Amino acid sequence: MTDLLGGLAVRSPGLLILLLLAPLPLVLQPRKPSGFPALDGLPDDPVSTALDWAIRVAGVVALSALVLAAAGLQVGARTIERTGRGSHISLLIDRSGSMNDTFAGRTPEGGEESKSQAAKRLLDAFVARRPRDQIGIVGFSTAPMLVVPMTDRLDAVRAGIAAIDRPGLAFTDVGRGLAMALDQLEGDTGLASRSIVLVSDGAAVIDRKVQEALRNAFAKRPVNLYWLYLRSAGSPGIFAPPPPDKPDNPQVLPERHLNIFLGSLGQRYRAFEAENAEAVADAIAEIDKLEASEIRYRETLPNVDLAGVAYAVAVGALALIIAAKLLEVRIGNTDSHGRAA
Amino acid sequence: MAPRPHVPRRIDPRTVGLAVALALAVAALLHPTWTSRVARHDLTVVVDITTSMMVRDASIEGRPASRLDAAKRGLTDLIARIACGSRVALAVFSERRAFLLFEPVEVCSGYPAIAGTLDRLDWRMAWEGDSRISKGVADALEVAGSLDTDLVFVTDGHEAPPLRPDQPLWFPGGDGDAKRHGLLVGVGGDALSPIPKFDDDGHEVGFLAESDVPQDNRQGPPPSNAESRTGYNARNAPFGAEVARGNEHLSSLKQDYLEDLGRVTGLGYARLGRDDLAGAVARFARALPANAAADLRPLFGLAAFAALVLVYLVAPLAAVTVRRRRRGAPRSIASRGAPA
Repeated sequence: MTDLLGGLAVRSPGLLILLLLAPLPLVLQPRKPSGFPALDGLPDDPVSTALDWAIRVAGVVALSALVLAAAGLQVGARTIERTGRGSHISLLIDRSGSMNDTFAGRTPEGGEESKSQAAKRLLDAFVARRPRDQIGIVGFSTAPMLVVPMTDRLDAVRAGIAAIDRPGLAFTDVGRGLAMALDQLEGDTGLASRSIVLVSDGAAVIDRKVQEALRNAFAKRPVNLYWLYLRSAGSPGIFAPPPPDKPDNPQVLPERHLNIFLGSLGQRYRAFEAENAEAVADAIAEIDKLEASEIRYRETLPNVDLAGVAYAVAVGALALIIAAKLLEVRIGNTDSHGRAA
Repeated sequence: MAPRPHVPRRIDPRTVGLAVALALAVAALLHPTWTSRVARHDLTVVVDITTSMMVRDASIEGRPASRLDAAKRGLTDLIARIACGSRVALAVFSERRAFLLFEPVEVCSGYPAIAGTLDRLDWRMAWEGDSRISKGVADALEVAGSLDTDLVFVTDGHEAPPLRPDQPLWFPGGDGDAKRHGLLVGVGGDALSPIPKFDDDGHEVGFLAESDVPQDNRQGPPPSNAESRTGYNARNAPFGAEVARGNEHLSSLKQDYLEDLGRVTGLGYARLGRDDLAGAVARFARALPANAAADLRPLFGLAAFAALVLVYLVAPLAAVTVRRRRRGAPRSIASRGAPA
């Protein structure tokens, strides 16, 4: 595709060389030469002269429009700024093996739904409700992995969500996952609000070095943080302090301490604890609502095909020329080459 | 007054030319298309991201590159080339599993996302250091089957640790008879090259040494020649007493092994850089019917243009030529007898 002026572009620029033939009608006319010897004796008629030029110009227009249309005239993709609902969201999804258990902490049997299946169903609906968002997915377990880059191709995002109930891996390295999710949001310099939605059923101790790096990274730009904790039956939860006789440290209660860590980053942060699919749905609806703020965002408009318009212009110009041709007055009997018959 | 002689009223060819041009332009405006059948493919692409893939013995456009980078480039080109309507799922291989990143995505609308993920594939995503290729291929076949897709497995064929010599290659439900669709794609050079070594923070710190990797698989019964080894003791040292030596810390493309694997599993084999990947996919993967609509408007538009050029250029020039030719033997209006 070659860009022309003003955002216009053509697909096959090679054809544009034919535009050199477009001025032909200014020089040559398809009128039938008349047997009348000369027009010199007739008085000047400005209306006729204007009409003559209009028909010549129509010829130029018809030729140019046909070439531009055949070359595939279009308005190239452009970005415009709009105001509306939408944000940039990085979904940080736990792909550890325990996600494939039910909320009761068992292997699903019969019609039971695992945590990952519930998350998959509800996240898919969440993405489907947010057509204006840019969404990326980072999976994390033993190592973080980029699943889908920040994109407006939501079909790809939904394909990534569809894979989250596949058998998982071993660990829950949430620290490095957070770093990758943040990294994913770093690329965009737009004005959209940026959020990380962490979906996990557990947490692990975050290495002190990684904690430090995360603190620095989060301090750079505001990011909304949501943690959707899928709580299995019997796990202590992320809010409750331990009974006084139990130790309170990240090794024993990693979830509670991850919550404290995320809360201490100085960002807008909400944690949701869900013990079942309904609670997950409520939490996702809540995130949907919180991420509904009006923002200015840039939207990329796809190419607009202008070939049809160009053909319509050519048809109009040709119709004009043919009308003029059919109104031709025959003076004397002449054949098509101007010979008198 | 003499009666006006009857002159057959002929249609001016220029009017015909204009009418033809108008008809063709109107036809173009109606957006004619020609639908042809093309082959599309549904693929599960699995990329080996183990450390041996970091060996820099592959090439991108003649420049040396790591096997992983060459694989990423080759796959990005493949996705750009296969027919729209094809769908691609992406998984990474490490240890003994194909870990699915996303389910099939349509390649044309999803191209930026698929290419973006491919570009960010990294050995750091690997969850374990093992590279049990044959187990990985078995798992990948299962994943690909569950998505009703054909497999494209890109690897250098370097098994780590080495396979047990006493066990032949075997696949559940596939003794080469079961016709599976898809292919193994080999990447790497023929000569042994050192494998980069990374520290805990992911920085490259030289190359793997002989003692860094298991050189020998000592599970299962010892090989038949074990008795001749130094320090052999049936109970205490059934594999001999010497430290195994070998070339497992160096890596090359194990082409013969991958071709064997292909035979056992019913998959095809292609080598990245030597074979055309899109052609290999067309050969080994199922071709699904898809319609591709070709835009015929430019054809009609150019035909209308040609008709107009005839009217504006050729017809007037012809008239001029005819008049010139007649100048030698002028036949004026008067000489023929003025009409009416």
